[in-house]
Amino acid sequence: MTGRRKLILAVALAGAVVSLGVGQHALDAMARVHAVQAPRFEVDPLWPKPLPNHWVLGNVIGVGVDANDHVFIVHRNDTFDARNEIGAAQNPPLSECCVPAPPVLEFDPAGNLVKAWGGPPADGKYVWPSSNHGIAVDNKNNIWIGGNGGGAGGAGGDSHILKFTHDGTFLMQIGQPGQPTNSNSTTHFGRVAKISFDYKANEAFVADGYGNRRVAVLDMNDGKIKRFWGAYGKPPSDSQLPPYEPGQPQPSFRNPVHCAEPSVDGLLYVCDRVNDRIQVFKENGEFVKEKIIKPATKGDGSVWDIAFSKDPQQKYIFLADGKNEKVYVMDRQSLEIITEFGDGGRQPGQWFAVHSIATDSKGNIYTTETYEGKRIQKFVYKGMASVNPDQGVVWPKR
Amino acid sequence: MNRRFTLVGALALVAPLGALSAQGGAPKKGAAPAGGAPRFEVDPMWPKPMGNRWILGSTTGVAIDSRDHIFVVHLTDSFTQRTEIGLTVGGAAYGECCASAPNVLEFDQSGALIAHWGGPGDGYNWPEANAGLAIDDAGNVWIGGAGNIDTRILKFSKDGKFIAQYGTAPAAPVAAAGRGAGDTAYAGVSPGRGAAGRGGRGGRGGRGSGPPPLPANSNSMESFGGAMGFAIDSKANEVFVADGSRNHRVAVVDMNTGAIKRYWGAYGAKPNDADTAKYEPGGAAPKQFGQVRCVRIANDGLVYVCDATNDRIQIFKKDGSFVKEATVAPQTRGSGSVWDIAFSRDAGQKYLYVADGANDKVHILDRESLKELTAFGDGGRQPGLFYAVDGVATDSKGNLYTIETFEGKRLQKFNYKGIGAVTKASQGALWPAAGGGAKK
Repeated sequence: MTGRRKLILAVALAGAVVSLGVGQHALDAMARVHAVQAPRFEVDPLWPKPLPNHWVLGNVIGVGVDANDHVFIVHRNDTFDARNEIGAAQNPPLSECCVPAPPVLEFDPAGNLVKAWGGPPADGKYVWPSSNHGIAVDNKNNIWIGGNGGGAGGAGGDSHILKFTHDGTFLMQIGQPGQPTNSNSTTHFGRVAKISFDYKANEAFVADGYGNRRVAVLDMNDGKIKRFWGAYGKPPSDSQLPPYEPGQPQPSFRNPVHCAEPSVDGLLYVCDRVNDRIQVFKENGEFVKEKIIKPATKGDGSVWDIAFSKDPQQKYIFLADGKNEKVYVMDRQSLEIITEFGDGGRQPGQWFAVHSIATDSKGNIYTTETYEGKRIQKFVYKGMASVNPDQGVVWPKR
Repeated sequence: MNRRFTLVGALALVAPLGALSAQGGAPKKGAAPAGGAPRFEVDPMWPKPMGNRWILGSTTGVAIDSRDHIFVVHLTDSFTQRTEIGLTVGGAAYGECCASAPNVLEFDQSGALIAHWGGPGDGYNWPEANAGLAIDDAGNVWIGGAGNIDTRILKFSKDGKFIAQYGTAPAAPVAAAGRGAGDTAYAGVSPGRGAAGRGGRGGRGGRGSGPPPLPANSNSMESFGGAMGFAIDSKANEVFVADGSRNHRVAVVDMNTGAIKRYWGAYGAKPNDADTAKYEPGGAAPKQFGQVRCVRIANDGLVYVCDATNDRIQIFKKDGSFVKEATVAPQTRGSGSVWDIAFSRDAGQKYLYVADGANDKVHILDRESLKELTAFGDGGRQPGLFYAVDGVATDSKGNLYTIETFEGKRLQKFNYKGIGAVTKASQGALWPAAGGGAKK
């Protein structure tokens, strides 16, 4: 009996030690038993290169990659503390540092800043969103930007999409700006989170959004809304919802509908962020299936953004979870999580609110962070490997 | 003509920034001073992740002990509850990440977290906003407080056992939450946000939502006014206090009793809290200290004081007699340029490292001449960049450690790479060579 008690105590102590992180080696050894095959990544702590002009990034809320693997980001360049963060932009300047960078930045694969543009136009030809959100590069190298700014009482917010050439020349404004939430509108949007494309059908898929609760499908050329749907493929409703509770049925999307990603095999993956789920549809809006991710997650939710692996079948989904500070590597067919990496923090490979995710042609992953994360990070693809189910921070080997 | 016009235009655009960069006697590009300057490289993978899903808040004190262990103190309430510490919100998890690490953290040379302690306990009053951390020869840890109502300094054993607290309780009863209009160092550090994620705000319970600031009392023999740093003089059994965020003095206390033995203000004069003349770049030098953020004693007995908001270092003898002063980046307004000082680890302590949290740089000065040799860093969240670099310390090998407050929330290590030629007045981010140093 005493012996058994001692054993129990020892096990309890060991548990306590492990939970303190002191037993990390033991934990690693245990986990290796259950190692899985998955794409492996290492953070590049020195990418991108430091910005010129004492420029700093605000909330980085969109990332896209062009055909030449140039990486575009959009960030909110009004999300700074005036005194402590952008003293150089005050009048008179408080300090040498820092200055908000322009909203759209383009980096080459080496991490050099190639171009910076964006913001309200001098000629008033179009309306820059009050809170730009999401950036996508189409196959003609054009740049699409949404906006999630809300006006007073839901009216007058960002309800349009902007389209530019690769270097920031204005092309088109889609949807009337300044309109109130209306998930059944065919003339405007409701605070768009992200835009993606199906080039074969010449359609753009809009995660719509922070005001509306729908996926909207556009003609890529004229921007006309062709069709739209809500959760489970039903007509969307804007009626008031009770707060999210884990385990309750969720017949409606919640705000924000945060991504809508078409795959090579004609499926559409939608981020229902606050409901902690991915819903999968056919491109005509027919509901296929859903997957709940970490349903205990409240507040901002667990399903923030999706990118697919670059193999022809898009075998894997990389899912950014800005609440639990993880990227999940999922099997796209089964929607099971194979492994996860990352953690909370300000060091390389850690995140504060990992918001957006994209892959380049080599399979590298780029993540951006909103709130006070304010970074873009690159994770270099290292091929298929045997990895732990929870990899923690993926640093390069010394 | 056209070309010339363009050139003039470009110069005019660059001028405001260039004028600031040229401050502090920094050499022009290519003008390498004889003897060079210490060189550093950031280690982007130091320290190691802490485990437990712990994160650092605004980090406000750093010191190295005799074993080259790195101690930091940070503000465990400098987080946005919903977005940053969901693991601990209201005792009910909002998500799996994250939770604040305890206030005091000890890292070994490998960057592993080996001990943690701090926070309120029986028999003492943990500061409202812990700031400054120093380790004496016995290995004891001294901690100040820069909050609106902090009047004390605390002393713990190196593993966190309470030893003593010095300084009397706040003189005035602390009123209910009011306007935090005080000019204290961390007032508004990570202030609460309106809409989540906007405004670059963290969440230290809201800007101005704390108690109103106590008045300065720079001539008190009983209490302190926001102690932000310490220097230890073991031989004389004295501790020098940078006092502080509200007070405008250096106070010297008996190491064992905490009794204030002497104190002085700028130029070694008696401080006068009624003289509130503010620093203005190009204007007359203030007769009082602004915010006193650090005090450091060199091996030769000189006492270096960070007069942060006045952009200057003042140097004294230990008895308080004024020796000399130097300005650093004197165009800096707001929080000022001189936040903390560390000495190089050569016997003569030939170099001063000045943490400048407003310009997000570390200035390297020749200690003798107080001329700036070079600087490194810039604003940003990547390795080697800073957001509000608050403190600096060196280990026995000459490596340099920096901490960042506000939303910087990091501890970074810069490996010492020997003395080298200075080619730039401002070196930017000190990344390992070829960008590959981290990769093998």
